[in-house]
Formats: sequence, structure tokens, C-alpha cells
Amino acid sequence: MEKVLILLGCPESPSQTPLALYTAHKLTKMGFDVTVASTPSAAKLLEVSDSEEFYVQKKVDLEKCLENLEEKEYDLLVGFVHKDAAVSYFVTFYHILNIKSFAIVFEKDAELLEKFLNDLTENTDATLISARAYHNPTPLRVKIDKAFKELED
Amino acid sequence: MSFCLELHLQQSEDYEILISNAGFKEAKTVIENHAPKILYVKPGAKVLGARIIGIPPIPIGIDEAQSKITLPYTKPCHGTAVVELPVEKEEIDKVKAISVNPLKK
Repeated sequence: MEKVLILLGCPESPSQTPLALYTAHKLTKMGFDVTVASTPSAAKLLEVSDSEEFYVQKKVDLEKCLENLEEKEYDLLVGFVHKDAAVSYFVTFYHILNIKSFAIVFEKDAELLEKFLNDLTENTDATLISARAYHNPTPLRVKIDKAFKELED
Repeated sequence: MSFCLELHLQQSEDYEILISNAGFKEAKTVIENHAPKILYVKPGAKVLGARIIGIPPIPIGIDEAQSKITLPYTKPCHGTAVVELPVEKEEIDKVKAISVNPLKK
């Protein structure tokens, strides 16, 4: 079974937690072994949202995961990027793991969104899934469904 | 015993924060303008026992005269800070060993 690491950023954006649960469940249904790496605060939001661990079974602390991470430890990286720091984290995980990667990029400010996308394009070969989004996760959900179709082939 | 950056920042006051809550590029410029010498490392390189987070090439400032290192320190909810702290000479040698290019200055 192929292993996927879902990387969460700061949970400040309300779209991140529902999209993380949606993405984790979607990838699990597609046959991936899913692990979610997050900060303690993002983990708390997941724990309350998914108290029976129906959607996410494997959770790891972001810093501990990074400390011991090795190349090819996972088969697929999916990162949520909606802050400058999240760009840095995603690029770092991308360069250590050296695997196929998707970045889910969202921000309500168009200029910031463009900056994040430019930084990711210049420093990774990741597939970018992006939308101007903050409260409403639907545009990204639709784009995630479309982008992940390539994983079904 | 090897240096632990996280422990040092938690338990010591012997460091200086040059900028905090910044974007990575802003932090990079601060390091490049501050330190006498700059070494660049790859994302995820271990410096002072911690993985360095950022966009390549990541600058590490070196002040050999004062035996100090200046480096970016990123947290998901707090952006990037630039921290300068005193280190043993061997820690500077370790950075030299993993740098991806020669000294810029």
C-alpha cells in the first residue's frame, strides 16, 4: 500500500480542517495509507472534528515528523499552503522526501496567493491546486477531485 | 554533547532575535546583510541539531571572529525569525561541511 503524508499548516484558515478530513478520506478510499502531520493546535481541531477517527487514523507531530524524515519515506506528499511559513515547510518536506507532490494553495488575498504559487513553482515540481479561498472550501474541493483523478489512472 | 537549538532557545537567554514574524525572503535578506560571511544550505539540512526550514538556497550567517551563527527559524503559525547565537567553532565547521556553495563574502 502506498503511503501518503498530508502536511497541515497553521490552522488559522477555516478551510484547512474540513479540507484535510476530506482529502484524507478521499485518499484512504483510493487505497493510500494516510498519515497527517500537523501542529498540536491543528491536531486538536482534527481530533474534535473526527473524534471517532473515522477519517484520519494516523496523526504525527509536524516537528517530530520533520526531525526524522528521510528521502522516499512516503510515496506521495500533499501539503496545505496558506501562509508564507507553509510555503517554507512544504518546500522543505518536498526537498527531503523527493517524491510526487501536490500543494493545495489558498489565500483570500490575490497578490499573496500569486506569491505563494510563484515560490512553489520556482522551487518544486509539485502539482499546484489553488483558489482564492478562506471560509469556503468548495472551490478547492472541486479542484482536489479533478487533480486527484490522475492518481486513479 | 551536540548542540540542540530548540533547547538553547528554551533554556538560555544567550541569543539575539534580529527579526520575527517575517516572511522567508525578508529573513533571508536580514541574514545576508548582517553576517560577515554567508554559507548556503539545502532545505532540511541539520544545523545546530535542528532541520533548517525554508526556500533554497538557505543562508546561514557566519561570524568566525565572534564565533556566532545567524540562521532562519520558522514556525507554522509565527512565520520566520532570524536568530543569532554563540556557538563552538566545531558547529561552524559542521555548517561548512554541509554548505552547497563557497563563502559568498
